[in-house]
Amino acid sequence: MRKYDIIVIGAGSVGLPLAYRLAARNLKVAVLDKLASAGQGQNKAAIGGIRATHSDRAKIKVGKASLNFVRSLKQEYGQDVDYVQGGYLFPAYDPEIAAGLKGLLPTQKAFGLNIGWIEPEELEEIAPGIKTEGLLGGTFSPDDGHLSSLKLAGAFHRMALEKGADFFFQTEVTALGQSRGRIETVKTNKGDFQAPLVVNAAGGYGRQVGLMAGTDLPVFPDSHEAGVTEPVQPFLKPMVVDIKPDQNSDNYYFYQNLAGAVVFCITPRPQRWGTDIRSTSEFLPMVIPRMLDLYPRLRYLKIRRVWRGLYPMTPDAKPIVGFDREVKGLFHAVGMCGQGLMLGPGLAEMIALALVEGEEDPEIFTDLSPYRDFSGRELLQ
Amino acid sequence: MRIKEHPILDIEDKKTISFSFNGRVLQGQEGEMVSAALFANGIQSFSIHKVEDAPQGIFCANGQCSQCTVIIDGQPRKSCVTPLQEGMEIKTLVHFPELPPGNEYHPSHPPKELECDVLVVGGGPSGITAALELSEQDFSVILVDDKERLGGKLVLQTHKFFGSVADCYAGTRGTEIGRILEEKVLNENNITVLTNSIVAGIYSDQKAGVYENQESYTLVSFRALIVASGARERSLLFAGNDLPGVYGAGAFQTLVNRDHVKSSRRVLIVGCGNVGLIAAYHALQAGIEVAGLVDAASEITGYKVHADKIKRLGVPLYLNHTIISAEGEGKVERATIAQVDKDWNPLLTTAKTFAVDTVLVAVGLNPADEFYETALESDFPVLKTGDANEIAEASSAMIGGKIIGRKMALLLGKEVFLPPEWQEKADILKSLPGETIERKHTLPEGDGHRPILHCYQEIPCNPCATVCPFNSIQLSGKTGTILDLPEFKGKCIGCGLCLLICPGLAITLVRRSQKEGLAEVTLPHEFRHQYKPGDRLELRDRDGLALGTGILKSARFNKKYRTSLLTVEVPEKIAPDVAGILVQKQEAAAPLAKPNYSYLPENAIVCRCERVSVGELLDFIKENQVTDLNQLKQTRAAMGACGGKTCTELLPRILQQAGVPKTEITAASLRPLAVEIPMQAIANQGGQKK
Repeated sequence: MRKYDIIVIGAGSVGLPLAYRLAARNLKVAVLDKLASAGQGQNKAAIGGIRATHSDRAKIKVGKASLNFVRSLKQEYGQDVDYVQGGYLFPAYDPEIAAGLKGLLPTQKAFGLNIGWIEPEELEEIAPGIKTEGLLGGTFSPDDGHLSSLKLAGAFHRMALEKGADFFFQTEVTALGQSRGRIETVKTNKGDFQAPLVVNAAGGYGRQVGLMAGTDLPVFPDSHEAGVTEPVQPFLKPMVVDIKPDQNSDNYYFYQNLAGAVVFCITPRPQRWGTDIRSTSEFLPMVIPRMLDLYPRLRYLKIRRVWRGLYPMTPDAKPIVGFDREVKGLFHAVGMCGQGLMLGPGLAEMIALALVEGEEDPEIFTDLSPYRDFSGRELLQ
Repeated sequence: MRIKEHPILDIEDKKTISFSFNGRVLQGQEGEMVSAALFANGIQSFSIHKVEDAPQGIFCANGQCSQCTVIIDGQPRKSCVTPLQEGMEIKTLVHFPELPPGNEYHPSHPPKELECDVLVVGGGPSGITAALELSEQDFSVILVDDKERLGGKLVLQTHKFFGSVADCYAGTRGTEIGRILEEKVLNENNITVLTNSIVAGIYSDQKAGVYENQESYTLVSFRALIVASGARERSLLFAGNDLPGVYGAGAFQTLVNRDHVKSSRRVLIVGCGNVGLIAAYHALQAGIEVAGLVDAASEITGYKVHADKIKRLGVPLYLNHTIISAEGEGKVERATIAQVDKDWNPLLTTAKTFAVDTVLVAVGLNPADEFYETALESDFPVLKTGDANEIAEASSAMIGGKIIGRKMALLLGKEVFLPPEWQEKADILKSLPGETIERKHTLPEGDGHRPILHCYQEIPCNPCATVCPFNSIQLSGKTGTILDLPEFKGKCIGCGLCLLICPGLAITLVRRSQKEGLAEVTLPHEFRHQYKPGDRLELRDRDGLALGTGILKSARFNKKYRTSLLTVEVPEKIAPDVAGILVQKQEAAAPLAKPNYSYLPENAIVCRCERVSVGELLDFIKENQVTDLNQLKQTRAAMGACGGKTCTELLPRILQQAGVPKTEITAASLRPLAVEIPMQAIANQGGQKK
């Protein structure tokens, strides 16, 4: 039996920074993941956008904390994750969309977001080549950015290793053992682990892990496809998000990463539920005409690779973060709704504070509680 | 430089047109690949890599990697698959291209949709025979191939093929076999052929995305899939392995035998398998010198007759040797080899440096079977054939494709019989060389003719036994298969047909001369020559040992076989041993007086697209406890334009070198696209082609 102070299930967007935060507090940490190395689940499927621009109080707060952490990685931790503070741009060509975006601004500003409405001329300067015909302007949040999800996972993995965390890969959790209402053991295909604290950070598989303890968390993954192009000279800084729906898709978004490639993703409609992450023939013909309509200049870019990843959704599109009420010592941090990359770094410190120091930020832990009323819905997703 | 004349290939005259390269006006041939036009003008450096400003030369010449990318009329294009047009403005690509301007709107169109019973990926020997078989069984087939011409690599093979005459056109040249197969498939109503088209992805919804004609995107729905996408050349790690002038034997064959470019003055070939041996032969036929062939193994893995042929022509083979460096200013100027010890480590005291401008890597092939692996994750029927299934000769691929075609018919519910002898034949055709059996040859008595069969190794081959008008050459019958050695018994009128058809050029014809103590030896010769009766020719035995000289009596050219029969008068006692004549001057193969190299194995490039070196990877592996190849993507290895086609097989070796046990290594995940496609093609906007 391997004994630890704390076991983190899942070496992904949440588990990795959390492992670092916990190990940095001198806890003996074990991270278990069924895949072969760090960030191989949905983390690496993330296209790399990182923003605080949400319309929900808790998510804005977590997002800002994430951005702060990520911005400090190079200077303070010597980790280069290709972070670029290019901002998020939401252009509008439709009066209804424009009104919707403008309508969010008071709330967003109230929660301290640096965001504002920009007119077409300024927007064109930020995104040279974007369609100008019918452009009404858009919102721009210059403090957001993008990074390499691959490098971020690598960085957190290295940082956690350095602080002494133990990683067990190809180690699939099969059961959670309890004793008198307390978590006790984590059983895996590679033997048992023991710890008084266990964090469920299993992402798209968070519901299954919850069920092992008898808790049914409403986490249901759907899937999105993404792609990346060849690299070209820098021409675009922000993440461009077109939230106007089409016949068979909702929003799509793209940006140029530090390596020069354009990375893109679309939300299909209807949503594709389930854990299938095989690529489909529908993706490219769905997303490319939309991108070329908005940004004709992209037509010369060659598409290099496509993939599909899961969005572990919750009914109100907000993460589930907090202690299990039935099983003491079990903590859930799942249902990131496809935003694990941008929420994980910030959440990690908040979760570590709650687990180790017992300090729970009420704004976060109330809003994201596993036992909240899930009927609400965030306006901007 | 161009190849103006070739013993086997017809060199057509094409229209000369002008284009510019970095502002210089140059001449090229209309419709040839831009890479060929650049090579013909002596340009071998296509782009400058962002890492260390390293010049990039051609590598695959096959549209698979992106190393030959240049800027053509403002757009980055792979020069090896872009036909040259009048007035093209071509520039060196420096680091990354700029995204061309052009904000005007172009309408997009949904992909064209096609349907078939079976999609066959790859129109080489196995793909074609699989498609033909399925067509015969009344299935509709779509056959997709990335080239203009079908036939796969057959179209690059100027040599005659081994194998069985009845089953796979043995004794016929690869170029001709390719043409025959192409014609058959184009005449089938059940088969739709998409040439110049690349399958970019096999998707889970049972559709394939096809990048058609370099301009549009088509979705093909299928009931079943056959992967016949051939093989990929293995790469080799040595310092300087990324210099312009280091490339695969396949690329060389394309440049020389398809594009008719004299791409080198002198080459060094790494690998003594059939691919390396044949590349050496092709080089000599194209007027390119061969400094030698190198192989770390202690035995030749290719057919002995191929190796013997090369040795006779004056090319040394260095067994138990490896290449340790290629060096030069911006391109290969010299290459150094060294003997290896039992653990395959180079013994630097044995180093030899050759002044060569090209290093051809021919260290074997790997199946290009990614689509098969992807398809296994879905539940439609999928089979693979040819080199995509197992590396073997084209002869076995032809019958293998037929078998797979019929197996697929069975999988799709057709009640049809699969004759077991098909598989037996395929197994024989893919047999590795068997036993080498020595035999003594003598002159016939009187003034009769006799063929001398310099064929000592059991390989699947039977043309000589099918061609003799008197059936005087027959296989020994030892096993009753075409692996048996041929034997001569009976009558010979000296017609020379056996000499002409033998793919190994391993048969000579001897008879006693009227002059005392002399004999006449007739030799097949596949080179252009200006020999005249009375010339003295340097004689060689089958292993390339010098046997003195002989006087040419006559030279007859056979048009059908494009082969000369040289009759030479030689001393009687050596006549049975004379197997060929020296073609290459000995200076061509001489090493420099002193070796001249640096030994820096960690500088070898593993990922060519992103220029990631052995040393860089070893450091990363140690620092990050790497066991999963996906982790190496953080170094950008395998993240480049080619999608890891070359480095994927090298990366596990680096991990093992770093001490990770083979069993603990996790393979990198596999994803579409197999080839980069411009967005405008996906959106069917047109306009990619000028």
